[in-house]
Amino acid sequence: RPYGGYEYPQQGFVPPDMMQQQPYTGHIYQPTQGYTPASAQSFYGSNFEDEPPLLEELGINFDHIWQKTLTVLHPLKVADGNIMNETDLAGPMVFCLAFGATLLLAGKIQFGYVYGISAIGCLGMFCLLNLMSMTGVSFGCVASVLGYCLLPMILLSSFAIVFSLQGVMGIILTAGIIGWCSFSASKIFISALAMEGQQLLVAYPCALLYGVFALISVF
Amino acid sequence: GGSAVIDMENMDDTSGSSFEDMGEMHQRMKEEEEEEAEGEAGAGEEEDGEFLGMKGLRGQLGRQVADQMWQGGKRQASRAFSLYANIDILRPYFDVEPVQVRARLLESMIPVKMINFPQKIAGELYGPLMLVFTLVAILLHGMKTSDTIIREGTLMGTAIGTCFGYWLGVSSFMYFLAYLCNAQITMVQMLSLLGYGLFGHCITLLVTYNIHFHSLFYIFWLVVGGLSTLRMVAVLVSRTVGHTQRLILCGTLAALHMLFLLYLHFAYHKVVEGILDTLEGPNMPPFQRVARDIPVVSNAVSNTTAKAIALTL
Repeated sequence: RPYGGYEYPQQGFVPPDMMQQQPYTGHIYQPTQGYTPASAQSFYGSNFEDEPPLLEELGINFDHIWQKTLTVLHPLKVADGNIMNETDLAGPMVFCLAFGATLLLAGKIQFGYVYGISAIGCLGMFCLLNLMSMTGVSFGCVASVLGYCLLPMILLSSFAIVFSLQGVMGIILTAGIIGWCSFSASKIFISALAMEGQQLLVAYPCALLYGVFALISVF
Repeated sequence: GGSAVIDMENMDDTSGSSFEDMGEMHQRMKEEEEEEAEGEAGAGEEEDGEFLGMKGLRGQLGRQVADQMWQGGKRQASRAFSLYANIDILRPYFDVEPVQVRARLLESMIPVKMINFPQKIAGELYGPLMLVFTLVAILLHGMKTSDTIIREGTLMGTAIGTCFGYWLGVSSFMYFLAYLCNAQITMVQMLSLLGYGLFGHCITLLVTYNIHFHSLFYIFWLVVGGLSTLRMVAVLVSRTVGHTQRLILCGTLAALHMLFLLYLHFAYHKVVEGILDTLEGPNMPPFQRVARDIPVVSNAVSNTTAKAIALTL
């Protein structure tokens, strides 16, 4: 035996090396919940069947996206402060794209405006929330919350495909949707940042931002 | 809920082949390879030295790169930290309650009576900032409903530039004048005062961009604009000593404030051609606008074209 009598299983040669270099791949949320040693075995080989699924590697978890969407859609439901702990930009990207697509169906090719206003609006809200809250907030969290609360605006722009929003009904509907979006966004922000009593102060800038989106939808 | 700590217990499976054993085995393998290589090449000292030298160089290079990355990262972090620390200076100006904001908004329309005693100005930036953004939104709305076309620039850029330019520019100018006239007011207070004065502008424009009567606009201009101007003027007067100084400060502020409202109404919304002509003399808007008589021209063009076609047929 060339290696001085050390016993080691052939297949076990690779894993300790791999485990030393990448001990943690492919788990999106808190690992103590569902983490088992059995799942670690799946990273042992570099076989195709043993690789984690693509969505898991990318960090896109449809169940979480759906849960957050429901939180936004129920304006009166109390928001849990923990749901925004992980920054998930996949959902907001999908919503921005859907918003641009509904605008496209209405004949307005304004993807650039949507992305530009989202970026500037997120930056502005990020600065404002950092100044107003005791604990800071990360840019990803702000972008994630604002992106999720864009969902009612997609309803507005899909309504604009069929009906014109420039009458009295349109104004009332637009005002309602802006209120819904900003109410949800401010609700999530104050529960995540523990800023009681300042919901109106957070809701107003959100309302201005969503008002600009509504302006794109209406005109 | 769970914690984010990774439970290494299950991962570090040291039964059987442990890390240390693996490490030792690696080292042993490398050494034996080196010995073999030496043996094959007829190991001389220089080869040995070269081999060691290469290894040493590689190690040193790696260390240098790591060091440079660490220095770079530290530099960036300290720069980011100092930037953040600057933002922290503004933090106390954003510490407000909704009740306070509402009270200050209403107060901004009520002129004070007592001008012999310096009036208190709330040094707060949240309200003024939100009012400037509201003004931007109202301008955008007005421009969109009237189909104003800005040739050199974008609607959003124009609106933001106008409103923020007024707020920051006129505040700085008034602060400079206040410094010359020995008035007791700080920059933040000036920003706050002027910002809250925009509340009247917001109300006026919101109403008159949607209800198009010029007499209504002039009434709002005088009453609402006048009230907010009177409030700002009274506060400034209470903080300045001397007749001439008071006159300079208050005259400038009143003129700029009222003229800005006039400018906003006429430059950003539908306007009768006659009044546009009278305004374009002294107050030339800085950007070009597509002439309002384009529909008329196109009608004339289409009429003549139709006639021409009819003649040819």
